[in-house]
Amino acid sequence: MIQKKRTPFVRQFTKKQPTVDHVTGDKIPKSFVFCRGKLPGTLRQLETDLRKLMLPFTALKLKEKKRNNLKDFLNVAGPMGVTHFLILSKTPTAPYLRVARTPQGPTLTFKIQEYSLATEIAQSQVRPRSPKDLFKNPPLIVLSGFGTGEQHLKLTTIMFQNIFPAIDVNTVKLSSCQRIVLLNYNKDTKLIDFRHYSIRLQPIGVSRRIRKFVQNHQVPDLRNLQDVSDFVTKVGYGSESEVDDEAATVSLPTDLGRVNRASNKSAVKLQEIGPRMTLQLTKIEEGLCSGGVIFSEYVNNDKSKNQKTHDEEDNNEEEEEEEEEEED
Amino acid sequence: MESVEVANRGKRRNSGKKKGKMASKRPRLNEYKVKIDKKMKKVFEKRARDYNSDDEDEDEDEAEFTEPKRKEEEEYEVEFSDNDEEEQEEEDGFKRGEVSEDEDGGIQPGITKFADGIKAFRLAFKKIVKKSGDDDDVLGPVLSAHKKLIAEKLGEEEAEKKVKGEVKKEKNLIREKGHVKPVNYLDAHEKFLLGIATKGVVKLFNAVNKAQTAQRGLNPSRSRDEKVIKKRRKEAFFSELGRTSSQSAKTVVKVGTSGGSVDDDAPGWAPLRDNYMLTNPKLKDWDKMQDKNDEDDFGRQPQTDSSSDED
Repeated sequence: MIQKKRTPFVRQFTKKQPTVDHVTGDKIPKSFVFCRGKLPGTLRQLETDLRKLMLPFTALKLKEKKRNNLKDFLNVAGPMGVTHFLILSKTPTAPYLRVARTPQGPTLTFKIQEYSLATEIAQSQVRPRSPKDLFKNPPLIVLSGFGTGEQHLKLTTIMFQNIFPAIDVNTVKLSSCQRIVLLNYNKDTKLIDFRHYSIRLQPIGVSRRIRKFVQNHQVPDLRNLQDVSDFVTKVGYGSESEVDDEAATVSLPTDLGRVNRASNKSAVKLQEIGPRMTLQLTKIEEGLCSGGVIFSEYVNNDKSKNQKTHDEEDNNEEEEEEEEEEED
Repeated sequence: MESVEVANRGKRRNSGKKKGKMASKRPRLNEYKVKIDKKMKKVFEKRARDYNSDDEDEDEDEAEFTEPKRKEEEEYEVEFSDNDEEEQEEEDGFKRGEVSEDEDGGIQPGITKFADGIKAFRLAFKKIVKKSGDDDDVLGPVLSAHKKLIAEKLGEEEAEKKVKGEVKKEKNLIREKGHVKPVNYLDAHEKFLLGIATKGVVKLFNAVNKAQTAQRGLNPSRSRDEKVIKKRRKEAFFSELGRTSSQSAKTVVKVGTSGGSVDDDAPGWAPLRDNYMLTNPKLKDWDKMQDKNDEDDFGRQPQTDSSSDED
């Protein structure tokens, strides 16, 4: 009898996302991004852009139906370890973004004054870059201008810092920090600029030609030169981007790819990807889209009017139990 | 004779009449034609004459068939093309008595003959074309006599379209509210924001650089070096923090970093630390009986019987 060689049966393991970070021991925050109500096409695009932004700790292909309520999402969120909701909605005045912490956490309501989609930004750039593994790692977050000490700003800071997983300075690999989210608060206009960039490191101290040659592996044109040394030492005119501030240069601890070597100076170059938004903080509620109002932008009598119109919109979308707004 | 009949009885069906394949495929027509014979032939010939001719009165003596229809003919200028008689016959044979034309006014209800129907239609059409050719109307040949009505209708439709267009535009505006397409990629504000972000990244990278290069020489598994590492870590971290917060009063760049809560004597990997699950209140009481609400989904911990690690 010829024994048939049996290959051992290997079960395909689906990669499970860790709930707890190995290094820090904290829970890894996960998020859901979804829409409430009927949204036009551009806002749905914005929803997908935000989902990509929150990768890898979010549900990229979250399927939502019209009849899903907030409670449904809550029920699913528990077992999966989802900590934050990002909810998009629209009224005739403007689209709104609500950032909430599950299950009972506070809800921040932002009014989106302006927004641009990721595809449009890529179209407006001369050389859009999109490396393959860009969305494999969570982004860094930079908050600027929030330091005035006001209560609602503090809460916003803490909320956003907790949405993205924390980074341990000692063990983080710089190659895994490829994206950055910037939130800049402007005191005068009370508007928050929301930007999303990709990080790129470029070695400095090397002439442009040699750098391009090493990076692109393209054989240069040596027709007019007498000697290779001419190519290497040629004094080229400096282009605008070559003028690097000292502030932008970093010294790397390890090698990052072929070009950026350790303890050599490299320049940090950012390029914008992802959606661009201008937000205005309008409301902070204690509960998940319910509960007492901690802060409201419109503090005078107009507040009740604005709240009412927005609540009416919400009532059409969500269950009535969820909406227990205090009306002044 | 008999013998021939007998011989052929069992074997062949169509012994008497031998036709080709094609003939057998169209049995009906042939039969039809054969049955029609002379009387019908006369009728058909007459019809063909009528159809092709322009004469006014024709005599028809087909009492058995449908009632003849007579129409007064006024002007004939164009003749219909001549068809072959055979086609005529077939057409007439198939469509005979089934057509009743409504396009010429004042028709007698009931079944009319095909040839008469064609004549009448030709008449009516000529009338219409003549009428509308005289006018300067843009509307063109109109079959209805109420031209004014149609003009009104068209005017209404245009007005409706305009209104609809405006409503659509408004809707579109509402839909796209806030949507801004970035015209110029790099203006001053964007450059400013880019600068802020770059500063943040540079700070983080420098901090990482410091921490990791200092640590490079020391092996974290050796307990002797561990304490040195922890000390350095804490110092570096706090110094960085102190620097960033005091750097500028206006812009404070906060980078989301962890650490600072790491105690001494704590190994690098989180589960090895003694206070792994103790500080987090939610993970703390994992082996105790849970009497929490259903709302608190995160508090759901598996109940085990093993002894706890707490003190």
